[in-house]
Amino acid sequence: MKRWLCWLALLAPAAQACELPGGAAQRVESRKHTVLYRTVPLRVGEHFTLEFAVCPAPEAVRVDAWMPVHRHGMNYKAIVTALGGERYRAEGLMFHMAGQWEFVFELRAGGATERLAHGVRIE
Amino acid sequence: MRWIGLCIAVLAQGALAFTDAQVRAIASHGPWPPAFTADPSNRVSGDAGAIELGERLFFERRLSVNGEFSCSRCHQPERNWTDGEARALGLSRVDRNTPSLSNVRLQRWYGWDGANDSLWAQSIRPILDARELGMGAQQVAKLVRGDTDLSCRYKKVFGALPAEDEKLLVDIAKALAAFQETLASGRTAFDEFRDALVRTDPAGIEKYPQAAKRGLSIFVGKGSCNVCHVGPAFTNGEFHDTGIPFFIEPGRVDPGRHEGIKKLRASRFNLLGPYSDDPKRTTATSTRHVVLEHRNFGEFRTPSLRNLALTAPYMHNGRLATLRDVVNHYSTISPDRLHSDGEAILKALKLSERETQDLVAFLESLQDGGGSYRRKGFAENCIP
Repeated sequence: MKRWLCWLALLAPAAQACELPGGAAQRVESRKHTVLYRTVPLRVGEHFTLEFAVCPAPEAVRVDAWMPVHRHGMNYKAIVTALGGERYRAEGLMFHMAGQWEFVFELRAGGATERLAHGVRIE
Repeated sequence: MRWIGLCIAVLAQGALAFTDAQVRAIASHGPWPPAFTADPSNRVSGDAGAIELGERLFFERRLSVNGEFSCSRCHQPERNWTDGEARALGLSRVDRNTPSLSNVRLQRWYGWDGANDSLWAQSIRPILDARELGMGAQQVAKLVRGDTDLSCRYKKVFGALPAEDEKLLVDIAKALAAFQETLASGRTAFDEFRDALVRTDPAGIEKYPQAAKRGLSIFVGKGSCNVCHVGPAFTNGEFHDTGIPFFIEPGRVDPGRHEGIKKLRASRFNLLGPYSDDPKRTTATSTRHVVLEHRNFGEFRTPSLRNLALTAPYMHNGRLATLRDVVNHYSTISPDRLHSDGEAILKALKLSERETQDLVAFLESLQDGGGSYRRKGFAENCIP
């Protein structure tokens, strides 16, 4: 029985174990990673901080955002700080226009880079 | 739920029907005026003595190398702090249109290219620019040290006169900034309408002219003007290529934001530098994180639209003479005029004649009663 449980644990997606303490969070998943993120209420033209977790923790993390329809990104580069374990904070982001944006989490692990995107609408 | 009731109220009067999203967008352009908050990077921001010193300096002609020009040569109160020129004229002609100083304290970046990140740093630029006031730090320091009244006022605001000329120059700029922070536009017909909309006041809503309402509907609807002209000041404070040619003259171009970011980073007066009075550099977030990209070439800062009707001509080089010309520009803009690797934001609005008139009527409704500024007589002398 113990052996079966062990196999189940290995097969389960990382998402099940991924947590971002502090309340509800947005979830983005791939076969390799789960990203949970939370922002303060977003307003056009104001800097904001992104708290997020990546499971399992990659070797390197970058966060960016862009407007697919407008074909441009932010005017600012986010700086990511590892908070320990699987948690991170990205500072310096700003959505400088209203409309449809997309967060992009660039995760480097095992010699490969994976990009997870998640849409967010700003009024 | 309140918004739904509001839309019904608007419809019931036979007025324009704004969608819920448009009503939220309209509400986001207020309330006005915003509360004053002091600039942490300027230790005399909001200080009455600094404001008075700054006001005197703003109209002080000895702050130019030939003793003939002051800041007010280009920033004229009766023209909403602009000059009516396409390109400003100081000691010689400069490359860009004089931006208004109205509500200037609300900006994140200063100048058409955002080469400065604080109002006090921006106030240094024209003093030192050989085409504008043409002074040097040494000359400014000599003026203040040698004038009984100015030095008295300086000491009252800042303390003892510093030995370093550049430090004195920065302080003078901070006094100028303290004065300019007080230059705020008043309430407008739009603000009355916006507030009536928010509090669901049909009578207040009805007072706003129908043409302005139709123009507003275009502004937040078909025109999507509020994508960049956001918030109470009608600007996102950032930079865009709006299809205005950036050739200054044959063989010479204005690189706009691209050069502005380079200048910002090179400036010892930026908010990450030694002259910020904010020890934690809390206001330096934008400076710390700003990125330089090729697309920044030919981008210029989105101006506020408040009191726009008083600031003709328009755009970074004053190329467009009237508000109608500006609306026509966006109505007929060709994608060929925009950077191929730049933003894909603008497309020709193809407005009808009536739509053009309506949009202009809305923009004109962003004008306050005017004349809120009264220059002081400066009769009294400083008493040490």
